[in-house]
Amino acid sequence: MLTAQVQEEIVPYGELLAQEAVPAALISMRDIWRTYQMGEEQVHALRGVSFDVQKGEYVAIIGPSGSGKSTLMNIIGCLDTPTRGRYWINGKLVSEMDDDELARIRNKEVGFVFQTFNLLPRATALHNVELPLIYAGVPAAERRERAKRALMAVDLADRMMHKPNELSGGQRQRVAIARALVNHPSILLADEPTGALDTATSREIMNLFERLHEEGNTIIIVTHEPDIAARAHRIISIRDGRIEKDERVK
Amino acid sequence: MRMTALFWEAFLIAAASLRANKLRTALTLLGIIVGVAAVIAVVTIIKGLDRTVANTFSSQGSTVFSVSKRPMVILSREDLVRFNKRKDITEDDAEAIARLCSSCWRIGIAVNNPNTLVKYNDQKSENVLVRGVTLPMLAIDDVNLAAGRAWTETEETAAHRVCVVGADILTNLFGGAPPEQAIGREIRIAGQPFEIIGVAEKLGSIFGFSRDNFIYIPYEAYKRAFGARTSLIIFVQARSADELENVEDEVRTIMRNRRGKTFLDEDDGFALETQDVFLDLYKRATSNIYLVTIGVASVSLIVGGIVVMNIMLVSVTERTREIGIRKAVGARRRDILTQFLIEAVVLTAIGGVIGVGLGFGCAYGLAFALGFPTLISVWSAILGVSVSSVVGIISGSWPAWRAAELDPVEALRAE
Repeated sequence: MLTAQVQEEIVPYGELLAQEAVPAALISMRDIWRTYQMGEEQVHALRGVSFDVQKGEYVAIIGPSGSGKSTLMNIIGCLDTPTRGRYWINGKLVSEMDDDELARIRNKEVGFVFQTFNLLPRATALHNVELPLIYAGVPAAERRERAKRALMAVDLADRMMHKPNELSGGQRQRVAIARALVNHPSILLADEPTGALDTATSREIMNLFERLHEEGNTIIIVTHEPDIAARAHRIISIRDGRIEKDERVK
Repeated sequence: MRMTALFWEAFLIAAASLRANKLRTALTLLGIIVGVAAVIAVVTIIKGLDRTVANTFSSQGSTVFSVSKRPMVILSREDLVRFNKRKDITEDDAEAIARLCSSCWRIGIAVNNPNTLVKYNDQKSENVLVRGVTLPMLAIDDVNLAAGRAWTETEETAAHRVCVVGADILTNLFGGAPPEQAIGREIRIAGQPFEIIGVAEKLGSIFGFSRDNFIYIPYEAYKRAFGARTSLIIFVQARSADELENVEDEVRTIMRNRRGKTFLDEDDGFALETQDVFLDLYKRATSNIYLVTIGVASVSLIVGGIVVMNIMLVSVTERTREIGIRKAVGARRRDILTQFLIEAVVLTAIGGVIGVGLGFGCAYGLAFALGFPTLISVWSAILGVSVSSVVGIISGSWPAWRAAELDPVEALRAE
């Protein structure tokens, strides 16, 4: 109780208002800082980032390397926690959650798509897609059925029993997208999803994202490529750990 | 549900990594395999021996005891010297027991002459145990005849040179002819002629030693042919196992009186023993074998556990990225912890199963080569697999904890 009072005293007035009302947005960040201790030195990867994302938005986060966009992505995806600031997903204050609660948020609310696909190499496509459902405690039969449907949704019905090394880059990324979507997350979070793909395949994947967006998914893509970012409806530019620009493009 | 799924998941991963690294797996599990196999082999062999020993000694049964100058088992030279100073057991002692012991059922006298050469024409049988016995001994020893007859009391007192032979004598002297054909033949026991009047049923062997290489001859005939022995062994049989103790007490009292001893004396001046002496000796020997085996097994299991821990740490490092992926899609710490623990247990349990198989295999090979039976103990198999699984839990816990504690961001960045 005492610590809560002390905290309130040092929080600026504007933030105090934000703190009291649980935001209605899908994602809501308020003055997010992420500080790393590098020996004696403190490095600020994020210096007070605040923004909201509404349900159904298609957002690109761009910025040069070292701008803090990867750190921001890790925090959005609940892989990392902010040093300071408040972060809500679906009205839940995730910045205060412990490890197990964060794991649950990653499982239910966030679907990751990585640059390097990050599939389990020894498991089949189907098993890779089933993985989030295993940790969600979905019974085997239902799990299998949902994973199959997710793979069919990305046009991989005929590749279910293949292992990642038997699939092309584009197919692998589609498996990863199926895995990200299988547990019906609130956010599809993609980190340079076309970074390891050729131009034609990149276009194919980006078309898939577009389709998923039209189907009502909320998508956040982190990229440094302007043409990828241009497909989004809103672009947030990060530089030196701060939001430089936040503009709606469509 | 969740646990079953996680278990199955971990089992599949373990199986896949075992398949991928067969040689590494084999080397990893060597310590555990050796440890478990040693225990299983020894337990199997000793269980087999236990049964053989029990069967063998029950032929005379727990109703019989012996009175002799020296005990059957002498463990030191000092004891031997001390026992040799005792008075001999004589026919008078046997007569006194027969006269005074009201609870005794059968009383027999025996003198043994091991390592005797027996001949029939040019055929010979070596190391034969020749026993000069009074007639009740055949009943006490439960000798069953395959052919012929035992000698009569008349033949006994008249010291007729007749004998009852074991099955080995038949094999060695008559080339395995049917027992009936040996009846009436004259053989030479240490040069002295004896007529075969009976052939005993085959008893088989124990620990590779035949129990059929014997000849019984009448006690009087033995004395006549080979001279009076210095000390006899008196065998006494009680009517039932329940009565044994009473009979022993009665005979002990009679013998103490004859030796001028009381229960206060430290030494009775004679040895009164059942065959439990052998069982005790056997049990002492086997319990030592068990102890040594447990020692060897513990060392190999500890070493095996350390190797498994090491390999699990390597596995955690190699699969850092996999752990990152799992955490990204929602695995909690305890999910990762469980996965690696299960993997370690599956690994060591497989080692345990191989060890159990190898142990039984070794036991059978050895038993087959040496000619004694084995007894599979389901409990030892269960114990072997359980102990190795426990080793898995112990040696897997630290690597599993390290895996669970990995930071997802760092883990996803790993190569």
